[in-house]
Amino acid sequence: MEQTELQVEIPSVLKQTSCQNIKGFDCVDYGNGNNPNPLENAISDKESYGESIAGSKITKLELQEVVIISLPASPSGLHIGQTKLVLHSEKCENTDQNDTKNPYPQLAKQKKFHSQPILVRENGDRKVVHSEAIRDHRFDPFKTWSGRLERQISNLRGKATQEPDIEAGASERDEIEEAPGVDRYFDALEGPELDTLRATEVSVLPEDEKWPFLLRFPVNAFGICLGVSSQAILWKTLNTSPAMSFLHISPMPNLILWWAALALILFVSFVYLLKIVFYFEAVKREYHHPVRVNFFFAPWIACMFMALAVPPSIAVNLRPFIWYILMTPIFILELKIYGQWMSGGQRRLSKVANPSNHLSIVGNFVGALLGANMGLKEGPIFFFAVGLAHYIVLFVTLYQRLPTNAALPKELHPVFFLFVAAPSVACMAWAKIQGDFDYAARIPYFIALFLYMSLAVRVNFFTGIRFSLAWWAYTFPMTGASIATIKYTMAVTNVVTRSLSVCLSAISTFTVSTLLVYTIVHAFVLRDLFPNDISIAITRKKPKFSKMLSHFRSSSADSKDFDSSISKNSEI
Amino acid sequence: MAQNQRRFNVTNHQIPIPTLHQSTTNSTGTDTGTSTRASKTASSSDLSILTRFHAGYFRISLALCSQALLWKTLAEPTTDARALSSIVRTIPSFAFILLWSIALLTLLLLCLLYLVRCFLRFRSVRAELAHHVGMNYLFAPWISFLMLLQATPFLQPDNRLYRILWCAFSVPIVVLDVKIYGQWFTQGKRFLSMVANPTSQITVIGNLVGAHVAAQMGWKESAVCMFSLGITHYLVLFVTLYQRFLGSDSLPAMLRPVFFLFIAAPSTASLAWDSISSSFDTGCKMLFFLSLFLFASLVSRPALFKRSMRRFSVAWWAYSFPLTILALAATEYAQDVKGVIPNVLMLVLSVLSVVVTLALMVFTALKTNDILPHDDPFVCYNIARGTST
Repeated sequence: MEQTELQVEIPSVLKQTSCQNIKGFDCVDYGNGNNPNPLENAISDKESYGESIAGSKITKLELQEVVIISLPASPSGLHIGQTKLVLHSEKCENTDQNDTKNPYPQLAKQKKFHSQPILVRENGDRKVVHSEAIRDHRFDPFKTWSGRLERQISNLRGKATQEPDIEAGASERDEIEEAPGVDRYFDALEGPELDTLRATEVSVLPEDEKWPFLLRFPVNAFGICLGVSSQAILWKTLNTSPAMSFLHISPMPNLILWWAALALILFVSFVYLLKIVFYFEAVKREYHHPVRVNFFFAPWIACMFMALAVPPSIAVNLRPFIWYILMTPIFILELKIYGQWMSGGQRRLSKVANPSNHLSIVGNFVGALLGANMGLKEGPIFFFAVGLAHYIVLFVTLYQRLPTNAALPKELHPVFFLFVAAPSVACMAWAKIQGDFDYAARIPYFIALFLYMSLAVRVNFFTGIRFSLAWWAYTFPMTGASIATIKYTMAVTNVVTRSLSVCLSAISTFTVSTLLVYTIVHAFVLRDLFPNDISIAITRKKPKFSKMLSHFRSSSADSKDFDSSISKNSEI
Repeated sequence: MAQNQRRFNVTNHQIPIPTLHQSTTNSTGTDTGTSTRASKTASSSDLSILTRFHAGYFRISLALCSQALLWKTLAEPTTDARALSSIVRTIPSFAFILLWSIALLTLLLLCLLYLVRCFLRFRSVRAELAHHVGMNYLFAPWISFLMLLQATPFLQPDNRLYRILWCAFSVPIVVLDVKIYGQWFTQGKRFLSMVANPTSQITVIGNLVGAHVAAQMGWKESAVCMFSLGITHYLVLFVTLYQRFLGSDSLPAMLRPVFFLFIAAPSTASLAWDSISSSFDTGCKMLFFLSLFLFASLVSRPALFKRSMRRFSVAWWAYSFPLTILALAATEYAQDVKGVIPNVLMLVLSVLSVVVTLALMVFTALKTNDILPHDDPFVCYNIARGTST
């Protein structure tokens, strides 16, 4: 009630204060509050406003203190520092923060201000939660349509809207609207997964606060699906292959793992779909990241693993249309990425080649394997050919370790295990296409084995590396090598091959379980499974704006200083 | 002159540095002042055409000869080209002979022009040999001759004359191989990493076409020899081109149509292996599918070719030959793998190649001015290289 009163009062207040009550205010006659010089009006006369408002309202509302809101009107720059404080009445029943933020919606609309988030100093016991307001606007440019989608949805749900058409500042908006060029990613980030910000760079989003969960959910999360579903394939192969029957593995592990993998895929896909819907700009930036783009193949590869691992009790023969459905997105992604290698100026292979590119190659071989399993003939050969040609190119490039290649890590890192993935899946695919494990399949198998051995003997170099979610993606090559060894054992059965199969399967199972423990610990105990995803928050240009951004940061730090007891939302 | 030589304006398909013939140098070297400069150069004798002519014109002969081969293959009784066969067989054999003759005449004319140029403008030819794009097109006449030989309705492959002609056309290819491939890994300024560009695939295609014809003649060993030469260097070249070293970025925007050569090389390899192994086995299929994929990849990137499509030039002829070879490979594929999709593929690709070639012929007839060269692309390049070192 008071709110509507407030709102109704406002135009009349403005009219009153327009020319008569404010001394020294130079204005032409305006009817509805059209102020030719809004900035002056806003800044210079806030006290007058306050007085007039106080004069007109205090008697009506019997407030002890006065609501004063002023709207700095400059549409550019970052203005936390310029926002004025607002005294808030204890007795005012106006609990709805939305209104106090913008008591003059009409004014704002007419002037087309870029209204700023307005801080409220809390008096007494009332804790006003405003950090969410700040965070909201800062993350807006990462949201779909800059947050308008969210406001639409909350409109639909009946919540009162926050300020319409909030923009966080034109320069910041420009910073984020276009995804940075690939050079920026290499300049600003370092590390084998290009996920650490260099010391000379600043992030567009605040680094010391926890971002919204969806913004922290990277596409690497699909790596978990890859790891678990490849384990399901392993246990199915152990169960069904006659050469390994001496182990007497039951079908239960396959069944359990398959359902677990299904649940995981559904969950991760659902969350990522939410991210696409609500934070499309962030997804776009991930797509332009030279390492993360390869993980966009991961959901489809995981689905194909699921189709390969389907327990015999559920389905034996899958329909071919599944294959077509799963390969179409891979084909389209491939056209884009391999075409960029060949012809793209900025994204040429000699520059962007990194071990994660193996994920895009493996997609071809997994598709060939699945298609051959289903009995298709030409499609598997098509994808095998494409994968082989590009695998040769990538393999040579990575082996060369060109000096122009910025992305290759100098030190050893689990990402190198991806080298093992492509040849092991390729050998299985070829064996299935040809019908038996002939020499053309054995050659890639031995290459995979060699690469595995050369990494395994250097395992002590892997210690001391920060755990990240992407490590799950590196387990599936190990599992793939184990499965390839089992297939090889089926062709060449003797003690050596059998013990090799058992050994490799044991190693891969052990690794996956260890990783599972790590993940659970990080998720529930340490609660840092999803850290702030810095790699999507790099600036589009080298921070000339670093001064502004540091001002922004220090201002926000100031605002936090005098809002010392603002409680942060406990995000997930 | 020195400052002009250093400015490589890459809007033209040649490297447009002011020619020797022009005393008043138009330093931008673009073709915007074509009328004035054409009149200036027209004042000099017709021999200036020879100066401006270059081996890139053999693209026309490549296109026409491969078209003749395509028509011949489609008309073969073994081709099960359901829809096409009815059309193709209604066209009288006279039309095939006409097409073949046109191709032969064009090729002979171009060869004659080039021979005259060799005698009268030897410096230009030497400069062309040194250029990283021009040197590859020296293979083009021999490839055209080989394809014409294959497409001829007058000779059978086991004819003695046929074999002699094959030898006559393949020996230059091998000689050029030794020169150019040897340069790739031995010579100082012309390492592969520096000179590799999409037109280098023409050298590979030369070997593969030679292998294809040899296998059809029955000379399996020579066929396998040339095939292995071609495929090995293709592997190296494929990797290098994909890596796109900075040094290899020297292809002018007007020459972007030569990217279609990415399609031609695997298709030719597929055809060659098909005739060597007498069946379209898995290896052939893989090569054919690779070229299909590269075709899809290039066709889905129209922005790559936008700049080169602004003006008609002889570089546009580079579209025709790869499409025709792809259609040929699709024909072989459809012969081996019977079914609806392979036939549809063959139909679509053949029609596409015929349409493109016809369109190019129409364009050439309408815009003859544009197709004649305006600049001498190689002499001044040579001078620039000589003085800049």
